[in-house]
Amino acid sequence: MQAGIGTEHDLLLQQKKKNLNKKRLDTWLLLLPTLGIFIFFFLLPLFFLFITSFKNFDASTGVGNEWTLQNYIKFMSDPFYLGVVWRTVKIALLTTLITIMISYPVAFQISRSKGRTRNYLTLLVLSPLLISMVIRCYGWVILLSNNGVVNNTLLKLGWIDQPLTLLYTELSVVIGMVHVLFPYMVLSIMGSLEKIDPSVIRASQNLGASSFRTFFSILLPLTLPGVFAGSVMVFSLSVSSFVTPAILGGPQVKVMSYLTYEQVAVMLNWPYGGAIGFLLILIATITIIAYSKILARSEKGVAIQ
Amino acid sequence: MSRKLSKYFFNFVCLLVYIFLLAPIVVILLSSLTTTEYIVFPPEGLTLRWYTELIEHPEFMQSFTLSIIVAFGTAIISTAIGTLASLAVVRRQFKGKTAIVQLVGSPLLIPSVVFGVALLQFYSWIGLAASPLALILGHIILTVPFVMRLVVASLVGFDRSIEQAALNLGAGPMKVFFQITLPIIKSGVIAGAIFAFITSFDDLTVALFIVSTDVVTLPVRIYTYMQYQYDPIITSVSSIMILFTVVLMLVIERVLGVGKVFSSKN
Repeated sequence: MQAGIGTEHDLLLQQKKKNLNKKRLDTWLLLLPTLGIFIFFFLLPLFFLFITSFKNFDASTGVGNEWTLQNYIKFMSDPFYLGVVWRTVKIALLTTLITIMISYPVAFQISRSKGRTRNYLTLLVLSPLLISMVIRCYGWVILLSNNGVVNNTLLKLGWIDQPLTLLYTELSVVIGMVHVLFPYMVLSIMGSLEKIDPSVIRASQNLGASSFRTFFSILLPLTLPGVFAGSVMVFSLSVSSFVTPAILGGPQVKVMSYLTYEQVAVMLNWPYGGAIGFLLILIATITIIAYSKILARSEKGVAIQ
Repeated sequence: MSRKLSKYFFNFVCLLVYIFLLAPIVVILLSSLTTTEYIVFPPEGLTLRWYTELIEHPEFMQSFTLSIIVAFGTAIISTAIGTLASLAVVRRQFKGKTAIVQLVGSPLLIPSVVFGVALLQFYSWIGLAASPLALILGHIILTVPFVMRLVVASLVGFDRSIEQAALNLGAGPMKVFFQITLPIIKSGVIAGAIFAFITSFDDLTVALFIVSTDVVTLPVRIYTYMQYQYDPIITSVSSIMILFTVVLMLVIERVLGVGKVFSSKN
């Protein structure tokens, strides 16, 4: 009798263990396809490129056999390349600032609207995301070129005598980036605007605050987390973006991503291209880490989201 | 009075931003109708000549077909494997979960140009030539993070007692997945697939490194064409792509509702 209970108990335990093992097994089966592809076609390639960036350049094969730090030293000691880093960061900062300024009113308008209007406005703001980036940038080429729409209009109005050089400048890259990254900022600001209780705004207005005052004392402080999150996203995307600077800046406005492309595709200098690429990753990562640090600190002071 | 004035000013500013958003797209659509040999805006005269001339450029059609194939392949595979991985991440406890979640999310942090270079070097070492498969593998990496975000979001807060009920009533795990789980997380999965399709269809940066002379996706074709030529052919190709996107969106709107797709994104 007692032995019978014992075996039953053992059986149950065994069954449980079996189930657990089975569960563990199919957890890994669920993960296997994704994990396999990521290890083989993401981690390994990046790891090899990282190794390559510590090799010397060989004119015949591209990658030499000697180990060296020369690629990194060359980049960080040459004023030209440091200038490229500065330009990359400058363009990203400008893009972020302008994006904040133009997204805020739009986010506010959408969060205030209702029903149909709201759907249409949301669609209008998000639609650029759905249209190919190459095509959108090409639209800006048509608008900004020497005999483009902007120059022609200004000439006809008599505001300028000669076409302005707008295309292939830092300005055109910033314009293109703002256009591409605008939806991310709007979504992010809208997220925090929607959490504000409308009665807070009404209270401020009823107490006689001007719209100006209401904005700076109520709205802005409450939406700062959204602005902040959007800024980091826009900044890191614009630091690493390639399409916009390639089409609207080209070789005239070299940023780090273009430099990486040029070194590999034109100069065939793999080690150097790899080194620039990893420095670019470093800059993008530092931004994100700094962001999460600041966010963690501000979370102690202000209740965020 | 001043409140009303500031409201008008505010609406005016928003209007300017909307014009800014639409300007490049409108310019492309309209200048594709010009009768001139060069791109001009506003177009001079109206003609569909640049659309009919596309017949003499079969390479654009080839690239379009290739891009569609690659985007479809990417969307299907990415969504399938991303959904499976999301199930494991949300429902199972296992060692190294954080590391895996970070690994799968990291393509969003790595600049695509660096990934493109790395992939090209790797492909040339293992001898994988430019092909739809080579492109799809690269695009899976770019799109799985999006798919997983969307699917994980729809799996969180999922009431598992429904699945348990089905299991107790004797349904097999497969049946439970396809008849209970999948229909409930459907909107997240479909949104993920759409995102994956669009990201792959739009990708220039990674494809630029992988393509060869025969295997060229549409964004790369357009990019290389406009390095050398400035004729309205590009505007007609681009217009077709824009119209294609609009039609795609309308279909999605009919089937799912755009609001739904985007709301599940947040």
